[in-house]
Amino acid sequence: MKRVLASVLAMTLLLSLLAGCGGSSAPASSAPAQQPSESKAAEPAAPAAEPAEKSDITVVFVPKLTGNAFFESANDGAQAYAAKQGFTVKYDGSPEASVANQVTVINNAIQQGMDAVCVSSVDATGLDDAMKQAKAAGLQVVTWDSDVSGDARTVMVSQGTPEILGEMLVEMGVKSLTSRGKDPAKDAVNYVWHYSQATVADQNSWQVAGEEYIRSKYPNWVNVAPNNYYSEQDAEKAISVGESILTAHSDIDLVICNDSTALPGQCQAAQNLGLTKDDVTITGFASPNSIKDYCRAGVIERWGLWDCQIQGALGCYLAYYLASGNEIKVGDSIDVPEIGTVTVMPNTVLDPGAYVADDSGVVLLPERAEFTLENMDNYNF
Amino acid sequence: MKLTQIKKKLWRWETSLVVLLLLEIVVFGALNPRFLKPRVLLGSINDFMSICVIALFVTSVLITGGMDIQAGSIVGLTSISIGLLWQDFGMNIWAAALLSLLIGALCGALSGFFVAYADVQPMVVTLGGSFLYSGLAIGVTNLSATESYKGISGFPSYFTGFSKFRLGGIPSQVLIFVALVVLSYLLLHKTKYGRSVFLCGVNRNAAEYSGINTRLVIMSTYVLSGISASLAGIILTSYLGTAKADFGKELTLPIITAVVLGGTSNLGGRGGVIGTALAALVIGIMRFGLSMAGLNTQYLDIPVGLLLIVAVAFRGLTGRSKWLGSLSQKLKERRKNKEKVSA
Repeated sequence: MKRVLASVLAMTLLLSLLAGCGGSSAPASSAPAQQPSESKAAEPAAPAAEPAEKSDITVVFVPKLTGNAFFESANDGAQAYAAKQGFTVKYDGSPEASVANQVTVINNAIQQGMDAVCVSSVDATGLDDAMKQAKAAGLQVVTWDSDVSGDARTVMVSQGTPEILGEMLVEMGVKSLTSRGKDPAKDAVNYVWHYSQATVADQNSWQVAGEEYIRSKYPNWVNVAPNNYYSEQDAEKAISVGESILTAHSDIDLVICNDSTALPGQCQAAQNLGLTKDDVTITGFASPNSIKDYCRAGVIERWGLWDCQIQGALGCYLAYYLASGNEIKVGDSIDVPEIGTVTVMPNTVLDPGAYVADDSGVVLLPERAEFTLENMDNYNF
Repeated sequence: MKLTQIKKKLWRWETSLVVLLLLEIVVFGALNPRFLKPRVLLGSINDFMSICVIALFVTSVLITGGMDIQAGSIVGLTSISIGLLWQDFGMNIWAAALLSLLIGALCGALSGFFVAYADVQPMVVTLGGSFLYSGLAIGVTNLSATESYKGISGFPSYFTGFSKFRLGGIPSQVLIFVALVVLSYLLLHKTKYGRSVFLCGVNRNAAEYSGINTRLVIMSTYVLSGISASLAGIILTSYLGTAKADFGKELTLPIITAVVLGGTSNLGGRGGVIGTALAALVIGIMRFGLSMAGLNTQYLDIPVGLLLIVAVAFRGLTGRSKWLGSLSQKLKERRKNKEKVSA
């Protein structure tokens, strides 16, 4: 009797689970259907192409991983911009950054018959096949933030060339070092790099460019850990790695964190050990909101980033622009509403050895931002 | 008598998995008719093939009462080894793939040795193995001329093609999976070796007394799971067209999930590959179907987690109520006996 009761109970649970799944997916699938009616109101603002097609276009916006402040705010920017311009952005990513997961997301976009994908790739080449397949299936393929091979996508929205960003990282460190009484041009500055991992394309290219910049301009600096510190975009690991940097090298002057998880972790580590911006200089790339508290507490003076909301919006807009029947060629100038005019440059601006073709190019973000105590409250992402 | 009971129970569990699978197909087909296209439905297996392949062979590890959480890291080690042997050592790609199978077997053998011959907790050994092999994979990358963040790519098309071609509309990975299911089924359920695997899990001492070399049998299950992880690594490398050290690092828990949901007890002695194969499909199709229905990928773990808890609870409840029943009967008998004695 008990056994029958238990089975019935468990069966009910199982059924309710399935019903729940069906239920939870139903509103999600009906969401795109509601979107067009909202976006129709905004249609006059949208440029080019036939008005009839616009509201039907869906761009799948793929982050490296979900739940990270950088990608979430890029999505916020993309969503707000798409609503104004009259197209739909579907944010789809996995909480774990991995090639296989991103391939699954792209394959699903193909099977669902989406119009375009806009991807921040976790791997420099691992998505190539999936992106080419998407292209063959008629989807428009765009990357942003972190690229795939040039022949696997049409256009990449880049935050800047490795040289621009590597120099920016070092110079932010120089400014902070100077303001605490060091002379970066003469003193032997001990520094390390702390970022996600050795297998991430963009962060490594900045590190390489930054190292070159240091060698040519500040030959007196000493990299005390040439193998770098990696925290794998794991928030807790970023803190423990940060602490081990500070305890292993008691004479460290500068920690450069060119990763949006490493920087807050490094700041927390310094705070845990009772260090302030007068003891050690920390700088790097992270969203303003994730660092504001540490800046107020006097742990960090200066850090930077590009406006990822604009980057997300620009990536999705270009995907939408392509999906509405426009072509993009190297050398073209494209008027992007509210963001400004951007120029399509050859792939070689990011990597001299890159693939060169007329229908594959790079668009640079118009500007980058440095944050300090004075200006940080002007930004909300 | 007991064996037939176990068999009966397993059969029932596998039936409910089949029902669940059919239910999924009906529900998701209704939500998005595109889902029912054979090309789409069969093609989706490409995205969770690794889990299916490895879970089949991790099943026998769990049946011996062991645990294997290192398989995911062997995938990455295999992948990067293939790339390195092919690109930097100029080896033929198939020879590189074969050699990497051997590497997988060695990794499995090392951990299996410590579990079987040194009697270390399997969970601890394979946890160590997972760190060791993923660390080795990154170390090996540094031997290559390519920077580690780029991954090794540019494989010949006959290598990248074997995981993508379709035979009469059926993707080659589905065929590989079916072949492996048959192979592992025969091995575990139809051979003497398979019976000794079960016996090791039911009662290792009894198995030893009946002349089975339990240590060798236990170690062999880890070797097989290592080889299967390597096979998954080869398929993944071919499918993605890139060799990277960090492939497979997220597979550990999905593999265990598929095995446990498939009806294999993590205490050993009970289970089967058909259940595992069905469970891997149930999970994979559920994730695919939900995302086809519009659910965001980042929420897909929620239904899978619920499914696992509910399904295992279901099995546990039905099992336990029986156990409770027999317990209360025993208590009654004892009381009666006592009454008799006092009388």
